[in-house]
Amino acid sequence: MLTSLYVEGGSWFHRVAVRAKLIALLVLSLGLFVTNSPLLLLPAFLLCGGLYLSLGLTPRQALSRVGFVVFTILVLAAVNLFLIPVPEVVALVLRLMALVLFAAAVTATATIGAFMDEVTILLKPLERLGLLRAADVSLALGLVLRFVPDIFARYEAISEAHRARGLPIRPLTIIGPLIILTLKDADTIAAAIDARGFRRQ
Amino acid sequence: MNTRDLVLVALFAAIVVVLGLIPPITLGFIPVPITAQSMGVMLAGCIIGAKRGALAFLLFVLLVAIGLPALSGGRGGLAVFAGPSGGFILGWAVAAFVTGLIAERFVHPGNSEGRQFVGFFLASVIGGIVVLYAIGVPWLATVTGTPLIAAATGSLVFIPGDLLKAAIATLAARAVYAGYPLLPARV
Repeated sequence: MLTSLYVEGGSWFHRVAVRAKLIALLVLSLGLFVTNSPLLLLPAFLLCGGLYLSLGLTPRQALSRVGFVVFTILVLAAVNLFLIPVPEVVALVLRLMALVLFAAAVTATATIGAFMDEVTILLKPLERLGLLRAADVSLALGLVLRFVPDIFARYEAISEAHRARGLPIRPLTIIGPLIILTLKDADTIAAAIDARGFRRQ
Repeated sequence: MNTRDLVLVALFAAIVVVLGLIPPITLGFIPVPITAQSMGVMLAGCIIGAKRGALAFLLFVLLVAIGLPALSGGRGGLAVFAGPSGGFILGWAVAAFVTGLIAERFVHPGNSEGRQFVGFFLASVIGGIVVLYAIGVPWLATVTGTPLIAAATGSLVFIPGDLLKAAIATLAARAVYAGYPLLPARV
């Protein structure tokens, strides 16, 4: 139900460390905002696009992953054509497209586990300040993945109950029961976690 | 934070993921279909309060960032942050926090039903619309180069839909508050 956007593959970009890819994304997102020259932005766009398409995604998968964001960029570019000079619009579109494609390439080549390792490192300073515990973040993440299918099954049961009674399925009549039924489990789940000593309290 | 709070945060983040799987509703008089997920910010603040609501959204945004297609329509990954609406996604946690603060301040168990409705609606409108747009629109203007005034005027198209979402979130939050109150009180 909630499968990762990672794609199996052995391209060179798969083998680059996740940290390096995230730093590259950060540098790229800052660097591309400094320049407005199409001579730099066009090659950046073509390189990022080429990289994204070389990862082993079928063209259809590749498009469906970034299609929505690309659509928003193009709509805003069309609006911009009336408001700001054309060369600027071209620069803006190339820059955003390059960034989006590079970001999609990072997402497609980094596993959840590898990402979480980096997140844990980023959380270390906060942990030292006593603001949170990195282990809690992983635990919460695990809980979400564990309970999404359960909550979805509950949603289907509530829609089913609506249908059986001939009621229209409206968000208003579904959200209330769905949230109450789900959050009522919190005490049991918390007790189960503490009973197993997962948080060492 | 005790274990129960941690579990409530995780369960609410999971609820927001499921709200994204529900088919969006289309209404005749509003051009864009309404996804149940976009009510999540208002619901989180009004139902589990400022701190836990904000944490639930930080967790949800983390899920999206590490490459899970948790956004409605199966979107996700770092590309959505790089796109024009990245500011709205990053603003969710702040919006949920403000929604929660206002709801905690204005909604108390002793209030009349009408007053609770007003409290939840105010919280949803100020936190879930005003604060969210105050972060998302300048971000969009910066990233896409659209002049701020034009970006702000353009976003007005979404305001009727958002007010409707606030109304639905208010009714749902009040139903949960009556059935299983979790909102901390703040004087």
